[in-house]
Amino acid sequence: MGNTKKSLQFKTIPVDEAVGSTLAHDMTEVIPGESKGPAFKKGHKVTSGDICRLMRLGKNNLYVLDLEDDQVHEDDAVNALAAALAGPGVIFSGSPSEGKLELKAAYPGLFKVDIEALTEFNMIQDVMCAAIHNNTSVKTNHSLAATRAIPLVIHKDALEKAVALAQNNYPIFSVKMYNPLKIRLIITGNEVYKGLIEDKFQAIVQKKTEDLGATLEETVILPDDEEMISRQINTYLKKETDLIITTGGMSVDPDDVTRAGIESSGFKQTIYSSAVLPGAMFLLGYHKNASIMGLPACGLYHRTTIFDLILPRLMAGERPTRRDLARLSHGGLCLNCETCRFPACSFGKVG
Amino acid sequence: MENFETLLQGSSKAHGHLCPGQVVGVRMAMEGCRLIELDNPSELPQIKKLIVYVEIDRCATDAICFVTGVRLGRRSLKFVDNGIMAATFVNLETGKAFRIVSTERARGLAEMYAPEISDKRQQQLQAYKKMGIAELFDIEEVKVDVPACDMPGPTRFKQICSSCGQVVRDKKEVMRNGKIQCRPCALGTYYRTVAEISHNKGTHHG
Repeated sequence: MGNTKKSLQFKTIPVDEAVGSTLAHDMTEVIPGESKGPAFKKGHKVTSGDICRLMRLGKNNLYVLDLEDDQVHEDDAVNALAAALAGPGVIFSGSPSEGKLELKAAYPGLFKVDIEALTEFNMIQDVMCAAIHNNTSVKTNHSLAATRAIPLVIHKDALEKAVALAQNNYPIFSVKMYNPLKIRLIITGNEVYKGLIEDKFQAIVQKKTEDLGATLEETVILPDDEEMISRQINTYLKKETDLIITTGGMSVDPDDVTRAGIESSGFKQTIYSSAVLPGAMFLLGYHKNASIMGLPACGLYHRTTIFDLILPRLMAGERPTRRDLARLSHGGLCLNCETCRFPACSFGKVG
Repeated sequence: MENFETLLQGSSKAHGHLCPGQVVGVRMAMEGCRLIELDNPSELPQIKKLIVYVEIDRCATDAICFVTGVRLGRRSLKFVDNGIMAATFVNLETGKAFRIVSTERARGLAEMYAPEISDKRQQQLQAYKKMGIAELFDIEEVKVDVPACDMPGPTRFKQICSSCGQVVRDKKEVMRNGKIQCRPCALGTYYRTVAEISHNKGTHHG
């Protein structure tokens, strides 16, 4: 970020004398409520027909640049910055617009940010980069970040410092590709097992997992019976299963035995409860190459829960720890908005 | 740019035969270049201003390459495997771009334009020469944001696959399970090595 003023040797010429000269930077035009974009691109040769429009943009004088050896134009600078910041799965346009480059996802996956390194990058004078949150699930071409040099011309040493910092911390930004996990589901609940009510969980789990490229291989409905649940988990583990999901039975009622069923199966490493609402009574566990998620019944009612925060991370090959779940506390409260805008909201965004 | 007949002759020679696809490809390329205001795209300085995205690997693609001079090896030709007879012509300097799609209705109109020819292929070939642009193509003005890693010019991006050590250029590496990998290691290959096949056979019989 910039915090000092430096005098740069620009030649300024009045706009009515500018015919034939080449613009040194993009000129932005804002039409209130309609559009904002470059009216003239850097390198454009000013014609007599442009003078009126330039004046309408409020330009009475134009910059003509004569760069010194230790100076870099904003477009060249932003290309170098973006190249250093963009790790695997992160691409950017070959044409900066108004001195800025937007970084985008090259494929669907989990967006990762080295937050500390990004902060240090922004401590460097005359450069900036703003990003979306760490651990956001993104699709191809999803906007991830944008970077620019603050002044029209940046000193080479500042640019080199920023590029070196990004390179030394490579990758500051990356997109972890999702693995096509094979998922098996256990729906628990006496009421569903006996057919008193119809299961709604399978459709929810199927949609959310398939959206990220997983496949729901099998679903079994079981009563609230610890032994049956445990046995079913073991049956699933003998098959090719990356992730087992159980639904229901995670609370504190006497009939809530799913957690006990999980813990008496092969899953010894389990984390019960998370600092997220909805999703406090969530269970996460690991056994050899397989993971398990115990989803509390809130997933039936709330559109977005802890499931939406942890599933992408498991799909990306991560194994969140107890501390990771605790860290979700800051930003872990869903506001239950009338129209859900997740992931474009504060839910699950660790600050 | 040379005239249509000269370009068609050259394109057919380069492709190996004269076919309806050559006529469609030459006309598509000529129209694409006209729309993005490049009249001599296969030579300097215009050669550096053009990128063409083709959406099929069939006859017309060769004709487009012949007329425009775009080449895979020069990174001016991009192949998007959509199975659609379409191409997008991008002027990198002005940002102007048009996507041109060869229409199915043109096939139906071939008989009307060349009723004297009974051979289907010859009929199409002659008809596509006479047909109006609006009948032959659907054209839309588009914006293509060409990523820096897809631009022509020297290699700017290089990474090493953490699994096999292969150098991967142009940001085509991926991050899989926290590791930087080449696509073959991360996503599998389109081939099997003979050694692997022999080994599996041995295992099977053993």
